[in-house]
Amino acid sequence: MRGRVLASWLLLGMVLIAIAVVAAPGSSYSNQDRDLPLAGSSAHHPAGTDALGRDRMVRVAAAYLLCLAGAICASAITTAAAAGVGTLSAFSPESLGRLGMLVCDVFLALPWLFLLMMVRSALPLTTSPAHSAAITFLVLATLGWPACARAVYRGACDLRNAEWVLQVRAGGLRGRQIARHVLPNLVPLLIPQFLICIPAFIIAEANLGALGLGIGEPLPSWGGMLLELDNSAMLLQTRWVYLPIALLILILLLLEAIAVEA
Amino acid sequence: MKSAVSLLRRLARTVLVVFLVVFGSTVLIRFAPGYLSDVREMDARYGDAARTELSAEAARSSSVRQMLSTEMSAWANGSLGLSRQYDVPVLELVLPRLAVTGSLMLRAIVFAWSLAVGASLLSNAGRNPSLLWQAPTTLLLAVPTSAIATICLLAGSGGPVLVMTLLLAARDFKFLDRLLRQAWRSPHLLQAKAQGLTTLHLVRAHILPNVASQLLALATLSIVTALSALVPVEVIFSVPGLGQLAWNAAMNRDLPVLLAVTMIMAIAVTCVGMASDRSADWQGA
Amino acid sequence: MRSCSRLIRSVSAVLCAAIAMMCAGQAAPRLPGELAWTIGYDPKTFDPAKVDDQESELVRYLTAGVLLRFNRSTQKVEPQLAESWSLSPDGKTVIFKLRPGLQFSDGTRLTAKDAAWSIRRVLLPATGAPVAEEFVSANDVTVETPDERTVIVHLPKRVIGIGKVFDEIAIEPAEHQSEGRVTAGPFVVADYRRSQYVRLRRNPHFQGRDAKGSVLPYATGVRLDVLDNHEREINLFARGEYDLIDGLPPDYFGMLKQKTPAAVRDLGPSLNTEQMWFNQSPGAPLPAWEKAWFQSQAFRVAVSRAIHRADLARIAYQGHATPAYSSISPANGAWYNHNISVPHEDPAEAKSALAHAGFRLNGSQLEDATGHPVKFSILTNAGNAARLKMATLIQEDLKSLGIQVTVVALDFPALIERLMHTQDYEACLLGLENVDPDPNAMMNVWLSSSPNHQWNPSEKTPATAWEAEIDKAMNLQASSPNDAERKRAVDRVQQIVADQQPFIYLVYPNALFAVSPRLLGVQPAVLEPGLVWNIESLRLEGAK
Repeated sequence: MRGRVLASWLLLGMVLIAIAVVAAPGSSYSNQDRDLPLAGSSAHHPAGTDALGRDRMVRVAAAYLLCLAGAICASAITTAAAAGVGTLSAFSPESLGRLGMLVCDVFLALPWLFLLMMVRSALPLTTSPAHSAAITFLVLATLGWPACARAVYRGACDLRNAEWVLQVRAGGLRGRQIARHVLPNLVPLLIPQFLICIPAFIIAEANLGALGLGIGEPLPSWGGMLLELDNSAMLLQTRWVYLPIALLILILLLLEAIAVEA
Repeated sequence: MKSAVSLLRRLARTVLVVFLVVFGSTVLIRFAPGYLSDVREMDARYGDAARTELSAEAARSSSVRQMLSTEMSAWANGSLGLSRQYDVPVLELVLPRLAVTGSLMLRAIVFAWSLAVGASLLSNAGRNPSLLWQAPTTLLLAVPTSAIATICLLAGSGGPVLVMTLLLAARDFKFLDRLLRQAWRSPHLLQAKAQGLTTLHLVRAHILPNVASQLLALATLSIVTALSALVPVEVIFSVPGLGQLAWNAAMNRDLPVLLAVTMIMAIAVTCVGMASDRSADWQGA
Repeated sequence: MRSCSRLIRSVSAVLCAAIAMMCAGQAAPRLPGELAWTIGYDPKTFDPAKVDDQESELVRYLTAGVLLRFNRSTQKVEPQLAESWSLSPDGKTVIFKLRPGLQFSDGTRLTAKDAAWSIRRVLLPATGAPVAEEFVSANDVTVETPDERTVIVHLPKRVIGIGKVFDEIAIEPAEHQSEGRVTAGPFVVADYRRSQYVRLRRNPHFQGRDAKGSVLPYATGVRLDVLDNHEREINLFARGEYDLIDGLPPDYFGMLKQKTPAAVRDLGPSLNTEQMWFNQSPGAPLPAWEKAWFQSQAFRVAVSRAIHRADLARIAYQGHATPAYSSISPANGAWYNHNISVPHEDPAEAKSALAHAGFRLNGSQLEDATGHPVKFSILTNAGNAARLKMATLIQEDLKSLGIQVTVVALDFPALIERLMHTQDYEACLLGLENVDPDPNAMMNVWLSSSPNHQWNPSEKTPATAWEAEIDKAMNLQASSPNDAERKRAVDRVQQIVADQQPFIYLVYPNALFAVSPRLLGVQPAVLEPGLVWNIESLRLEGAK
């Protein structure tokens, strides 16, 4: 219990610090200090600058707020969708259940890359970076559920056949009340899925930048900063390039600590 | 009799899934931007040759029905169509890569599960969720695949099998750890431990039967994750497997190859799903 | 408790063993004396007549026997299979005299009959050879072989630089297409594994000899690995697995320079240009006021003046680029003209020019005369880090004018569809690769009727007076036999482009290469293929 409270306070504290850094007067995530690209830490730039001379600390703080909010919402939607589809399929008549899983299989095998390209071509080119970010996370959320849905379906099927559930159903409970009794038992499947999806979506958003979706310049993209790690030239240039990944791991560990069961 | 009927039903289900996937893929690929474009059009030397090829392709793919019937007839005569990029039968491209990809996936899944099971057993040996195990697995989840590959390159060792194993093991560990922790804490187990039963006996007799079905569900999730992690790993390490073929085909809008690969993916996913259903029924019986 | 610790120990042991088994590295075997480097993708064809992409062209360059070779270093045409050649004064008859005793790689004799067959095959419409277009009207070209060592080619019309055209025609055995397996060049295609490598082996009957009379090529073979990943390529190069890197990205230049300073070469500006242009096509699906901005010379020149090209070169290319103002790079000594008057960086001048043209600043947002805020998108291709950085730097530069820019990076097929088919874009930032220093090779970009006339493709008639003037000048240089007249025409085109800024030139990227210290004989040149144009003379230190 103490661990959970401590972790929640820490997380809240980080969010407040990030807001303070971004909202501080004079700090800008897009201002390019062109004389100091890839500089180390200095009084003016505590965490150094990136390749275009923009202050890294402000960019990381802004990316933290933007991407964390987006990724957590998208993860929540995906996990909820997976839970919903899985549970519904399990507790419906068998044919509907099979149909649900058929849709799931088809969904898994289709090449969604091309749908994403179509989404990009349907959007006007002058979509603002913020809108583009929101749309990207929304699209990711709608595509991530099939993998987990099958596992939830399996788990829910077993629960359905468990004795206490049979008793409950025989006793006359229906629909929403079943969900209330069943879902807590599926939590060991849903929480790890939620936690795994967060970094996956952050990186996926950056990879979607190759298709034209993703967070547009000059808004900072956390996934984009993580992808800088694959450039060995960057890794050798400055230590501050590890800041985003360190923060991400810290946040994920804090979320794990909050989500632990008593 | 009943098994024959259920076998037929399964076959029908697979065929239905494959058909839907092929239809959906054709629509998606044909109408995504860039199907009738080629980067060589920008080059003044090669532009005309590229444009001639593209207008021939446009004539061939003027409607989805026409494209589907061309594909069906190509499959009927066994060559699975002609690749748009390489001008060779798709079967010739796919067969050698099946072996490579299959071996990579098999090794990765086996290693990943051994790692994940071992790590979660060790992690549950301690009282609280051990930071020792959570931190590295979170690291593996958070670092992008390309960065892991670069680190392997800089270290001079480690290839696609290692990277894929680590990725899968990290994900599997998160689920398994939680599962085992929940099972470990159940009251009847505490009593059994208090009575002095050995850990191995506890695991074998009390935990495994209860979590077996959930393990199956996780196994299917793990295989599906492996299928999707295949493409980035193969592309980054230049492994001549199906993932690399699929990626090149997607970038070059090579419809016959993409259909073949998505068909294989659909069959794989359906089989995995049906296998898990089947073993769950067998387990429950 | 003891059982618990035993379990822990046994599980840990299994884990360690599993990890150890997975950490096996990968290595590719190399034959002795074999050169190795990477190509970005599989060559699309091995038939030298059908070559229409860069990697196939490289394989053709390395394997084909050609009558004349265009020396990439001296930029002059040299005889190769031909002992000598001559061009008639009216430019319509070319006579080649073949060397005596020529052989193909399988030992059969190479005579004028093979040369004539190869040339005729390239000219056939059924072959669809891209090089046939260079002959202007390929159907009317005739080839004669009065004897075994003479080939006479009759052209209906004079062709500028006909010598260079024969650099692209491979001589193959008559009636017998060999697809690179039987050649008269330094190497022969020996093995091809799709998506893995192309292996070439030495042609034992190659006719070239070095100054001392020894047999060429020195290398026993060449292995071209299909590898698209820069990280792996550079890592393998640093480990000695590859002998050269053709086209080193600027970020890695600094890194490799620190490790092995002798290995990296920066040859200064290449022939290529990076530029930005606005969509001036009248049929584009853009609102009318946006078309009005892009078609206004004042707007384009103001945007050009607001961009700090020195920053682009310094930051996006880490100093390995030169600010560009005109279409012809200083590396192109014969055609470059530094007397062209170009609009230089001057944000204040840009602001006043926009004000003159009717644009007003409303707070920090620029608006045009009709009150629409000036905002547009710059399209570029994903996967090129330098271009994305340039686009972001330009975004910041234009912000000082009050213009709001969105940067969009698309994959190439989607980008090409927008650029060439639907014209659904506002501004685009791409690079142009110039393989041939002669401006005649860029006709397709400057002629207004061409589909490669990027800012307004396939015009039925020139939309503006200056485009008509460019058409006239380019047609003049294509047909004029007088070099001075050609130079004047090309200078005129450069000046018009500088005044009108249909292409806003940004930088000339430098030619960056990496060469292993073990590789001897390399003389880097700016023209493609910069490092291996003299492949016959390259060899590894210590090899025979």
